[in-house]
Amino acid sequence: MAKNTSSNAFRKIDVDQYNEDNFREDDGVESAAAGPDESEITTLLTQGKSVEALLSALQNAPLRCKNQNVKDHALNITLRVLLSIKSTQMDQAIDTLDQNDLIDVLMKYIYRGFEIPSEGSSGHLLQWHEKAFAKGGVGCIVRVLSDTNRA
Amino acid sequence: MAATLKPYLTAVRHSLTAAMCLQDFPSQVVERHNKPEVEICSSKELVLTPVVVSRNEREKVLIEPSINSVRVSIAVKQADEIERILCHKFTRFMMRRAESFVILRRKPIEGYDISFLITNFHTEQMYKHKLVDFVISFMEEIDKEISEMKLAVNARARTCAEEFLKRF
Amino acid sequence: MAETYTFGTSLASITCHAWNKDRTQIALSPNNHEIHIYSREGSDWKLADVLNQHDLRVMGIDWAKNTNRIVSCAADRNAYVWTQGDDGKWKPALVLLRINRAATCVKWSPAENKFAVGSGARLISVCYFESENDWWVSKHIKKPIRSTVTSLDWHPNNVLLLAGSTDYKVRVFSAFIKDIEEPPTPTPWGNRKPLGQLMAEFRNSQTSGGGWINSVSFSSDGNKVCWVGHDSCVSIADATNGNTVIRCRTGYLPFLSCEWVSPTSVVVAGYSCVPLLYSLTADGKLVLSGKLDKSQKKESSGITAMRIFQSMDRNMRTENTDTVVDSIHQNAITSVRLYAGDKASATKVSTSGVDGQLVIWNVEQGGINGGMRNLQI
Repeated sequence: MAKNTSSNAFRKIDVDQYNEDNFREDDGVESAAAGPDESEITTLLTQGKSVEALLSALQNAPLRCKNQNVKDHALNITLRVLLSIKSTQMDQAIDTLDQNDLIDVLMKYIYRGFEIPSEGSSGHLLQWHEKAFAKGGVGCIVRVLSDTNRA
Repeated sequence: MAATLKPYLTAVRHSLTAAMCLQDFPSQVVERHNKPEVEICSSKELVLTPVVVSRNEREKVLIEPSINSVRVSIAVKQADEIERILCHKFTRFMMRRAESFVILRRKPIEGYDISFLITNFHTEQMYKHKLVDFVISFMEEIDKEISEMKLAVNARARTCAEEFLKRF
Repeated sequence: MAETYTFGTSLASITCHAWNKDRTQIALSPNNHEIHIYSREGSDWKLADVLNQHDLRVMGIDWAKNTNRIVSCAADRNAYVWTQGDDGKWKPALVLLRINRAATCVKWSPAENKFAVGSGARLISVCYFESENDWWVSKHIKKPIRSTVTSLDWHPNNVLLLAGSTDYKVRVFSAFIKDIEEPPTPTPWGNRKPLGQLMAEFRNSQTSGGGWINSVSFSSDGNKVCWVGHDSCVSIADATNGNTVIRCRTGYLPFLSCEWVSPTSVVVAGYSCVPLLYSLTADGKLVLSGKLDKSQKKESSGITAMRIFQSMDRNMRTENTDTVVDSIHQNAITSVRLYAGDKASATKVSTSGVDGQLVIWNVEQGGINGGMRNLQI
C-alpha cells in the first residue's frame, strides 16, 4: 500500500530508461577537433580569399565533438564566412566544396544558420540552399536529417 | 523582401520532400501499438534532426521528422496587433476542426502558430508530393487571407466611424 | 517493356509480395491483416485464396520455392507457416516465436529447413520444425541488437544470417541450429560458431552517424553484403577484402529495398519511385550504372498555356495540377524481388509499392562495364 513508505517519489521513476537493451549512442571516437581556427579564417577573409576561408571552416567542422560551446563557436565563424561570400562567388565555392565532399557539411550549417536569423541573413542563406541543393540533390538534405552528428 | 518568397517556399518544399519519407513502424515500447514517434519521442534513435527554414526573424517553418511521422510547424508573418489577433482567431478556427482537416494538429508547437502532424498512414492514402504541395499553398494562402481580412476589418471600421460621426 | 499489374479493385498499398517457384502464383498483402494468393491466367491474375489468420498488419511474406511453403509474420507478434492442401487451400501451422513486440520481417533459409524473423523486441527468432509436437520452435539471437530489426537475409551456406536494424548497424550472425543440420565449412566471415555469435558488425557510415538500415542482402557467393540506409546511401562490404566498406552517397530520396542481380551490381528502389542499378567498378567504387524506369516526362494533355493563364487570372495563383508523377510507380517502392534468374545473374526483377502496383522490369546487365567489354581489342 502507498502509505507503507513515507514518500511516493518512487512512483515517478521512469524504469524503462534503466533497461540495458535500450539504444545507447555510440560512445565512439570523440574527435579532438577544436573547430576552425578563428584567426586563420579572419586573415583569409581580410585578404579576400573567402572561398578558401569557407573550405577551411568546413574541413575543420567539429561535428563529432560533444562540447556544445565548441560547436556554437564554429557555427558563428562559419556563418560569418557564408554571409561574407557574395552571390557571384557562390558557384565557384560550391564547385570547390563538391570536389572535397563537403556539400553535406555545408547544408548542415545552412540549416543551423536558419535557426538564428539576423538582418538579411535568411535571404542570403536561401540562395546558398538553392545552390547547394542543385549540386547535392534531395539526398543531401536527407543526410542532414538522418545524421546524428549535428553541426 | 518579396524576392525571398520563392526561394523560401522552394527550400521548404525540398526539406518537406526529404522529411516525408515515412514507413510503417510498430511501436517497440508497447506491443500491438502503432504511435507517431515524433510525438512520443520514446526512443532516441527513431527521431531525426529537427530543421528550421526561415525567411526572416518572424517567418519560419520547423520540420521535425521521425521514422513514421513528421511534424511541420509554421510561424506566420504578423506585422501588427490586428494581424496578430486575426491570425490567432483564424488558426484557432481551423484547429477546432482538426479532425476534418486530417493532418492538422490540435495544438501548435511552442513558438509557432499552427502545426501539422503527418503520419505514414496519411502518406499511404495520399500522394506525398500533393501533401507537400498542400502545405506550401497553405503557407501562401494564409498570408493572403490575413491581409484580406485586415483590409475588410479596416473597411468596416471606417464605414462604422463615418456613420457614427455623421451625427455630429 | 515493364509489365504493370494491379490486384483487386481497391488501390491499397502492397506491403510485401513473394513469388512461387515458377512464378505462376504470387502471395501479397494489401496493407491489412490478410494475405491474398493470386494465380496467373494469361496476362491477368485471378484470386486463388485469402489467408486470414493474422490480427494486425502483415509485415513480411516469404515463399519457399522447393518445399512450397509460405511463411508470414505480422504486427500481432505471430508468424504462421502455410502449407497447401490437396484442395489447393492453404492451412496455417503455429510458430512459437516467443516475442513480445511486432514481427517486422521474415526470410526462409536457402535449404528451407528454417526461417528467421526480425522483430521490434530487439531480437531475431530463428525457427525450425520440431516433429515430436508438430510445431515450429525458435531460438533467439539477442545480443548486441539495440533496436528494431528491419531486414534479414541468409548466406548461401544456410548458417550465416545478415540483419539490419534501426540502431544504424548491419550485423552478420551465426544461426547454426545443431539439432537439424551439420556444421558448415569455414567462410571468409569466420569459422563455425554457435547460434547467436556475432561474426561481423558494420556501422551504416564510418564518418557520419545515423541512418536506419532499410534493407540488407548477401551476394550470390555470400562474400559480399549490400545494404541501403535512410541517409540515401548504398554500401557494399567485402569479407574477402578485410571487411572494407564501399559507400556511395546518392542524391535521391532514401532507398527501401535492395537485391543483388549479378556479382557486381545491385538493384535498389525506394522513395524516389524508380528502381536503380548500382555497380562496382574495377577501381573499387560504387556508381549508378542504369535506371530501370525509362519513362519520359509525361506531356500533360490538359494543361495548355491558355489554361494556365486562365487559372492565374481566376484564382490569382499558378495551378500545380500534376497529380501524376512521371514514373511508372506513383508512390514509394517498398519491395524488390528477383523474378527471373538468381542473385548471380538476374534478368528480371519485380517491385511493389505504396501505390498498389506490381511492376516487372527487365534488368540490362552490363551498364558501363558491359559497354566497355564490347570495346576490348
